[in-house]
Amino acid sequence: MLVLSRRANQSIVIGNDVVVTVLEVRGDHVRLGIQAPRSVTVHREEVFAEIQRENRSAAASAKDVLGVLPRPPR
Amino acid sequence: MLVRSDRLGDLEVDEEKILTFADGLVGFPADTRYVMVEIEDGEAYRWLQSVDDPALSFLTVIPWHFFPDYEPEIDTVTQQELGLKEAVDAIVLCVVTVREGGPAPVTANLLGPLVVNAATLQGRQIVLADSGYPARAALVGA
Repeated sequence: MLVLSRRANQSIVIGNDVVVTVLEVRGDHVRLGIQAPRSVTVHREEVFAEIQRENRSAAASAKDVLGVLPRPPR
Repeated sequence: MLVRSDRLGDLEVDEEKILTFADGLVGFPADTRYVMVEIEDGEAYRWLQSVDDPALSFLTVIPWHFFPDYEPEIDTVTQQELGLKEAVDAIVLCVVTVREGGPAPVTANLLGPLVVNAATLQGRQIVLADSGYPARAALVGA
């Protein structure tokens, strides 16, 4: 992991197209601004990790699932 | 074309019906092409079988069968990336996880739905980060 220190209003450039700016530092909170091309998605890591975890569990789901699938309520 | 599936056997598929997720699914960025397969006696569900990896498949559910009030807000970047003009152009599927036992063995990920342009079959898995929707919403049957 590359470790850099920044103050408020300083930025980091990632690749050619992604700029992360420290907007505000208040107590133990940091507000970050991210400029990135439209095609690059940006998410809070813990949310991304949760989706990834669920996808991986889903991909590893049991082979014989059809018997346990709930029918939609009417 | 022939798509091999460990789960479903060999599938004869119309190439024009292949879904493309340019960035893959979260955690599976290299697998971009999927075929959607209906399930006999399970009209709320669809299999998504990876075209390139026979071992990779996802069970998905059309969310409104179980969550009629589900309102995934499709962000403008995704709308532009996928060429969506109105909600009617989009297919929305939620990935289903089946676990062994427990109070909620079958859950759907409402937090990270798959959104597909129904005409172009280009899709994306989006993250509804501030929606409050759960990644594991129990599917409760009739």
